Amino acid sequence: MKCLLISSQSAEVLFHWTDPEFHQNVQDQYGASQEDGHGLPAFEDSISTLFAPIIISCITMVDRLGDSYTSFTTENNHIYVLHQFDECLYIAVNGDGEEGEGDLRRKIYVMKKMIEVKFGMVTLSSILLRKELRPQDTEQRARLWKHLQSLLETYCHLRENDQSFLVEAVERLIHPTLCEQCIEFLERRLVQQLNSSVERAGEEVLHAFILVHTKLLAFYSSRNASTLSTSDLLALIIMAQNMYPSNMDQDDPNPEDIESTSGSGPESFYTPEPSPTDMDSRSSDMPVRESTPVFEFVDPDVQMAEDSLHTLEVPPPDPSTPRRVFLEVSLKDGLFPMMPHSMYCLPLWPGITLVLLTKIPTSAVAMSVYTFLEAFAKLEKRLNEGQEGSAATRGQPTIQDIRSKLDKFIKALGASEIQSVQLHNVWTDFKNRIGKGGPGFNRELIRSCKNMKTQLCGVYRQCFLIESGTADTPRRLSPGLQERAQTMVQDKLMDWKDFLLVKSKRNITMVSYLEDFPGLIHFICVDRSSGQMIAPSLNITERNTSELGKGPLAQFVKSKVWNLVSTTRRYLQKGYSTVTLRDGDFYFCYFLWFENETGYKLEAGDIPTLPDDSAPIGMLAWDYYRKLLRYYSKNHQGEVVKCYELLTVHLGVIPTEVILQHCRQLASKLWEPSRNPLL
Amino acid sequence: MADLMLPESRRCNNFFLYDGSKVRGESDQTREGICYFYPEETPLDEQELLCGQLAGAGRCVSELSSSPVRILNLHRHKFAIRMEDEFFWALGCSVEVPTVSVCELLDQLINLFCFYNGSVRQSYQLNSQETLAARWAQYLSHLQSGSSELQHIFSCLKTIDSTNVDPLLLLKAALILQACQRCPLVLAGCILFRGRVVSTQMSPQLTMKVMVHESTTYTKPQRPNGPSSSFGGAVSSTTVFLTPSELRYLQSAPVNKDFSSHSTPHKNTPLKKTRLSRTLSDTPSSTESEPSDPGNSQSPQKLLSPHLSVSSMFSQDPSQSTPNPPPPQPLEPPLSNGKHSPEECPSPEALEESYYHSFHSNGDGGSQIDNGGDTSAGTEESHDHQVSEEVRGRGSGIVPGHKVERSDPPHSDAFEHPGETPLIPMTLYLHRVKGLVLALLVEPHFLSDTASMEEVYHSSLASLNGLEAHLRSVSPGAPGALGPYIFAHFDCIQSTLTSNLSGRPGGAPEQPFVRATSLLHSHFCNTETLQEAIIRSAGAAVYGTRSVAQETYFQQHGGSLRNSGIPNHQDSAFSLPGKARHRLLKHGVNLL
Repeated sequence: MKCLLISSQSAEVLFHWTDPEFHQNVQDQYGASQEDGHGLPAFEDSISTLFAPIIISCITMVDRLGDSYTSFTTENNHIYVLHQFDECLYIAVNGDGEEGEGDLRRKIYVMKKMIEVKFGMVTLSSILLRKELRPQDTEQRARLWKHLQSLLETYCHLRENDQSFLVEAVERLIHPTLCEQCIEFLERRLVQQLNSSVERAGEEVLHAFILVHTKLLAFYSSRNASTLSTSDLLALIIMAQNMYPSNMDQDDPNPEDIESTSGSGPESFYTPEPSPTDMDSRSSDMPVRESTPVFEFVDPDVQMAEDSLHTLEVPPPDPSTPRRVFLEVSLKDGLFPMMPHSMYCLPLWPGITLVLLTKIPTSAVAMSVYTFLEAFAKLEKRLNEGQEGSAATRGQPTIQDIRSKLDKFIKALGASEIQSVQLHNVWTDFKNRIGKGGPGFNRELIRSCKNMKTQLCGVYRQCFLIESGTADTPRRLSPGLQERAQTMVQDKLMDWKDFLLVKSKRNITMVSYLEDFPGLIHFICVDRSSGQMIAPSLNITERNTSELGKGPLAQFVKSKVWNLVSTTRRYLQKGYSTVTLRDGDFYFCYFLWFENETGYKLEAGDIPTLPDDSAPIGMLAWDYYRKLLRYYSKNHQGEVVKCYELLTVHLGVIPTEVILQHCRQLASKLWEPSRNPLL
Repeated sequence: MADLMLPESRRCNNFFLYDGSKVRGESDQTREGICYFYPEETPLDEQELLCGQLAGAGRCVSELSSSPVRILNLHRHKFAIRMEDEFFWALGCSVEVPTVSVCELLDQLINLFCFYNGSVRQSYQLNSQETLAARWAQYLSHLQSGSSELQHIFSCLKTIDSTNVDPLLLLKAALILQACQRCPLVLAGCILFRGRVVSTQMSPQLTMKVMVHESTTYTKPQRPNGPSSSFGGAVSSTTVFLTPSELRYLQSAPVNKDFSSHSTPHKNTPLKKTRLSRTLSDTPSSTESEPSDPGNSQSPQKLLSPHLSVSSMFSQDPSQSTPNPPPPQPLEPPLSNGKHSPEECPSPEALEESYYHSFHSNGDGGSQIDNGGDTSAGTEESHDHQVSEEVRGRGSGIVPGHKVERSDPPHSDAFEHPGETPLIPMTLYLHRVKGLVLALLVEPHFLSDTASMEEVYHSSLASLNGLEAHLRSVSPGAPGALGPYIFAHFDCIQSTLTSNLSGRPGGAPEQPFVRATSLLHSHFCNTETLQEAIIRSAGAAVYGTRSVAQETYFQQHGGSLRNSGIPNHQDSAFSLPGKARHRLLKHGVNLL
């Protein structure tokens, strides 16, 4: 029983996702009064009515107490987690014991991250975001919500089954020679050719990478591109997986499997069990989906869920249309979040995908908008803190600084096809106001600031969210060019294809470690500075037996590993960087440490203690480790600090000293490629 | 909401009881539903805000999930919630306190209330809101009083420091209790010294409840001696209410088990034959003075004595075991009496006084109640007595057919909802010798059984005096300088905490230890299979281990904490288990 709801402060539903069970539960509670049809409004209305008292109470508490609900737990262990971002209240519910409070909070943050990647700086204006998330047109709304729902489901599936999404770090395929060849190929052949083609319509390929399922085979960034953050890369992998889901479990069509996973939302779409919601949502996204088996089984509850979303057959968009994604860019003059890029996801074979990220010609506008937004946000903050309006504007150079820039910017916009009259008016109004003073001046100026921000976000929205390029001049790499890129890589990897698909499932295996580390059952090693992880594969499908055996035992070990990660995160949140646990027949270890560039182990430092309801520890939605590194580096000026984590699972009968020796060996060996016979 | 954010280490920041049944209509104001709010000085509109919002949101969530809310978290506070029968309790603590501990505290508080007052709904029908507010306040302050942060985490019993006391004294205390149990009307007892447990025969939960009364009477001025009492003013009693499982626990205690097997064949024989007071002087005349409730055709003993009620319970027709069987005597007369003559209604203080009426109260009421030496005080006293008699009578009607008793699992105490299950009235008898208190749970009619009382009183008096003298002479044992290590050892069965921190005012050096202990305790509570853990922050490495019966936490001071955090078997943190085993042996903690 799961649900995720985004609501405005007026208790208007901005997005909702429910699994069939929760859907049924709502229907049951509302069944009697809503017998006359299960159309979209009915379900949306009932979910909104059911949650309205909580939402309103939440807002009241913030207004009057300055504090608000973060979670509820009921006696039958249903968990409700609430979090407010600006004016959007997120509520995540779990009633089947599969997710804890931390998981739900993480889900909320990931949902927010995906919305940011999708809508960029529009998320900075709650008015615009509200409109964006809840389009007036019901058809459009249904389509958007379905897309977001399927993204969320893809994420949940990955978090539950993929170790790299468990620890939120990217996993590379371990095959040094092939990886090197591929990177070279991407650099010398692919990207170069694309960027020198006239068919690129002003776009410039910045990053290109090849994914085998969720693992990275090769990643290339062009010289003038900024680094792609781990957070963004993970989000892009989710999007790619959402478009071209790799049915990892597909090759074992075990009927029991289907039975056991039916009803649980995220899993249902990867196992061949049909969740019509998922299929439809994907129909717009994935042209290759046809190749996957389609079952005709339709659960009545699921049917209802589908009906309620009022699906209309929308013709799938042109597959060559790129996705607009907003990613962080770090340049010499600062960090620019949510800069527009185009994402081309080109399927090579089922399970293997080429992803191209391009810079769009108008992206400079986004940078200007961000600079202006930042300036107004700072001013507003200062005004809110009670500084005199005149002092606030005079005392800080930014407004004066940007004054002429903004004038120019607006002038330039006037010449383009972007509607900027309102921005112009508000800006004129602001400039007039700044000179004045008197009672109520601060309040007026704050309102003016807000207005400016909204207008700037509006311009940004026009530039990057609305398909401005008309049919005759589509702003994208031409379909022909895309096709060429696809063929080139296909040719290159043709001989490797099957190997890669197998390799990605058994990237490294425990077998190679058994001799050196008797008693070691599993480990995960993460380099937090680069956002990469290594772990033996944990495939627990019926047919692919791993070293752990198959069936319940492997499942048990897997659940232990998943638990261990969430447990150690809880301790890390409270400032504990070393944890060892004797749990049942197992012995678990967790270590976090810092090194400098030369591999010298730095002294363990103070790790900040965070409140229970702080942002989840990880790298996908909120980069905890980046903050941790910054915090730790304060005492290590001028040194490049790296951060590593190691988790191990041993048999409990192994003496502790031996276990610790194992850990030490693993820690020193794993990240030294030269001395890496194990990989 | 300044008081919501008090920095002091009070265990509870907020507590309230809200009665949703009083706020139904549109015109009803939230304040009408507030039965009690702590801190009492909170402005009414803030009280209303918190009660209204929390109860409203709580109800909404519980409807969505078809289950009552248990925990409610805010950014800066956490609330344990209990929703029952239109009542909504919330107890708010700082977010630092482990959630399990907050929930435990709320359960304790509600159970305490029910122990002394019976069911909540009924209490609010019988008593004024002010009276009950005073009681909530009293229980709350008792639960918060003088406990350290460690004790907040474990909610343990306060015991005397057994390392300082001659073990023979503890044995002696246990023997006194056993001697008292020779009287069949005595269910179980405990001996307390200056608010700490010396010896107890009851479950930790029950002992904790009993201690509240002891501590409140301890702080009251000693009452003037009743003229007729050969017991001095040292003896008092009060009605208490046990849950069925508590009663069963008492009945199944080894002493009683033995006893009940003896008595079962005799269940229809006259009561005096069930007496097993072999060593105590048995005065045969005592049975004659036993009261016979005129409204009850059955002898109350037959219904209430544990060994008999168990056997009769199962013979009852389940269909008769409705929660509200027609009481043998209607409740109305005393109730309506009180309602119709408000001027006769006792003031809260008087009522409280009389509630804890002394033994032989009817003898001379005037002299008994402090400064209330007029006749009306006397009548109130008897009036109160009458009420409790009624309650007792009603309770006795319920006991035999009570259905919950049949299926309760043995450890259901924490989940038992006293508001729902009928409670069985019993009497708490206290005998005070200066700082020492003998507290006995006895059958209600023990009070009117002069012979039994005298027997218990006289048989224990000398021993109690002796014990008191010895305990008094024990020096409190100076809290030595903080050693090279800190430990805390929690006995889950007896709910006792041993630590070389106890008695020390909370200070900065042990803060890391307390924090780690709190985290580990929560982890142990949530993960059944977890046996031991070592966690290390920049400041401290703490080792925790647990078995079914105990939890132990250990931190070593000194040594080099400098480390790189990288796995290293020479790291001092990983030698903690060995050190703990070694060091704690001398504290009587065996981790081998």
